[in-house]
Amino acid sequence: MSWTMHGIGNEYMTRRVAIIGFGMTPFKARWPDKTYFELAYDACNEALQDAGITIKDVDSAVYGIYNDLFERQFMPDIYVNDYIGNIDKPGTRVTTGGATGGFTVRTGYAEVASGLADICLVLGVEKCNDCYDKQTGTTTPEVLKAIAYSADMTWEFPLGMLAASSYVVLVNAHFNKYGNPTEEQMAKVSIKNHGNAFNNPKAQAPMKLTIEDVLNSRIICYPFKMLDCCLYSEASAALILASEEKVKELKAENPVWITGVGAACTDAFIGNRKSIGALPSNIAAAKQAYKMAGLDYKNIKKELDVAELHDAFTGQEVISYEELGFVEYGKGGAWIDDGGPEMHGELPVNPSGGLIGCGHAVGATGIMSTGEAYLQLTERAGKRQVPITKGRAISHSIGGPGAAYSAVIVLER
Amino acid sequence: MTKEYHEIDDIIVIHYKYSFGGQSRFFIELKNNKQIMGTKCPKCKTVYCPPRIACAKCYETTEWIPLKDTGEIKVSTLVWYSTSAFIQNIPYAVGYIQLDGASTAINQGIFSDNLVPSKVKPGKRVRAVFKKEREGKITDFFFVPIDEYDDWIQKPEFEGGKNG
Ligand SMILES: [Zn+2]
Repeated sequence: MSWTMHGIGNEYMTRRVAIIGFGMTPFKARWPDKTYFELAYDACNEALQDAGITIKDVDSAVYGIYNDLFERQFMPDIYVNDYIGNIDKPGTRVTTGGATGGFTVRTGYAEVASGLADICLVLGVEKCNDCYDKQTGTTTPEVLKAIAYSADMTWEFPLGMLAASSYVVLVNAHFNKYGNPTEEQMAKVSIKNHGNAFNNPKAQAPMKLTIEDVLNSRIICYPFKMLDCCLYSEASAALILASEEKVKELKAENPVWITGVGAACTDAFIGNRKSIGALPSNIAAAKQAYKMAGLDYKNIKKELDVAELHDAFTGQEVISYEELGFVEYGKGGAWIDDGGPEMHGELPVNPSGGLIGCGHAVGATGIMSTGEAYLQLTERAGKRQVPITKGRAISHSIGGPGAAYSAVIVLER
Repeated sequence: MTKEYHEIDDIIVIHYKYSFGGQSRFFIELKNNKQIMGTKCPKCKTVYCPPRIACAKCYETTEWIPLKDTGEIKVSTLVWYSTSAFIQNIPYAVGYIQLDGASTAINQGIFSDNLVPSKVKPGKRVRAVFKKEREGKITDFFFVPIDEYDDWIQKPEFEGGKNG
């Protein structure tokens, strides 16, 4: 077993870890013909094939599954472990709300970097639209209720907070301080991400939109409209992580190295935060990940070819431009106005369509985002391929009550 | 192309007799005395509302103190589409309110007879109104714009508090 020190200084006494395979199912509103474990099998199978290995080669697995109520099953991970045949080997669940995928990649990284595993399967899966609201005869209000149970049951759930409202208070507070993002700037994010989804055959929501379409869509919670919000999706996504020795042994064709991982949790009780219009967890996660990769937070935009950000809501994507160091605080709105994050802009953000265009199958989402960054760096992203000149990309996940969890992953080829 | 599948109706129900533990005093004072309580850290002087019996910064045991029932909106939103538990209430406003004397802000409903975004803007002064029928739960009270307070406490199901 070889140990390689990397990062700035000698702080990281860890083995190098590469992504050697990726698979995902299409993101869809509902897969009535597949259970969550059957969906998990499909992405797992595709990732194993992409890496040129079988389940027998996997030493350990990490499962990203957010919501037991969605799955109608507590501890769904053990049934995924059964179904994919990962028998007599460890399988561990990670669950951190919308950030589940990013935190699952981080945990998979740790499995390999620490030497606990030479090959680790990182597998995310989520159903949601089996939840059903009899009052309205639709799924969404019951899906939202299943999510709302993540809010503090004593102080927050009884008041009618929902996922959108925990993000919208951040965006409103940011707007009150900096005058952006405006409703028009948020609409531009929706247009961009729904538009990018046309080039992603596995995306749920490709749409050609105008600013008026977004502004005139149904109000959800002020000032978020329907088209500012991602859709709930069902899907699975999987990555195969391998040690440097395994990469050589398997003669892996497309290794992409995980050179930085960062994660942080800020106050889940928004009212305890010093500043409501910010997610210090985003800044902390980004700084950790960049530092580990030897990158400068202040210059990060010039170091990257592509970024997959957590756009559960348009306004949060704009704030993330600032918190992940692409632009100064307060300048996020101006950057989308200038076309910075567009496909042909300074730094393309969410060529996959992101959560808004590709979809948000919660536990699978951050693994999809990381997989998209992997496909981009291996130049296998088809019609949405961006030019790779620096050989570097990031993926980003946010989640949980008050959007308190954040994870950032840096990939280099 | 439709694929074969079979669906059933299902539901998960769990009953509780849930204890609020160390936070119980907040709910007892709310129910019995219409008094909003906070807790103060003896070391860093942070006044928590929602209260907590230990300070996360200093790891000191906090002390219970009564708070005023007036405060300021830090941030809010108007909700027009919601979960199946709340969809019958739309539109409604929720926000974070910092009570006078508190260091943190509490999540709470903001009610108004004319619910428009300008009524619930950050910086707006609000005052707590209490339900006459209280159960010792966070929904026993809500906030209203200070200029609507007198109207709200005249309504048969509501009343004013002790105000610290
Ligand atoms: Zn203290």
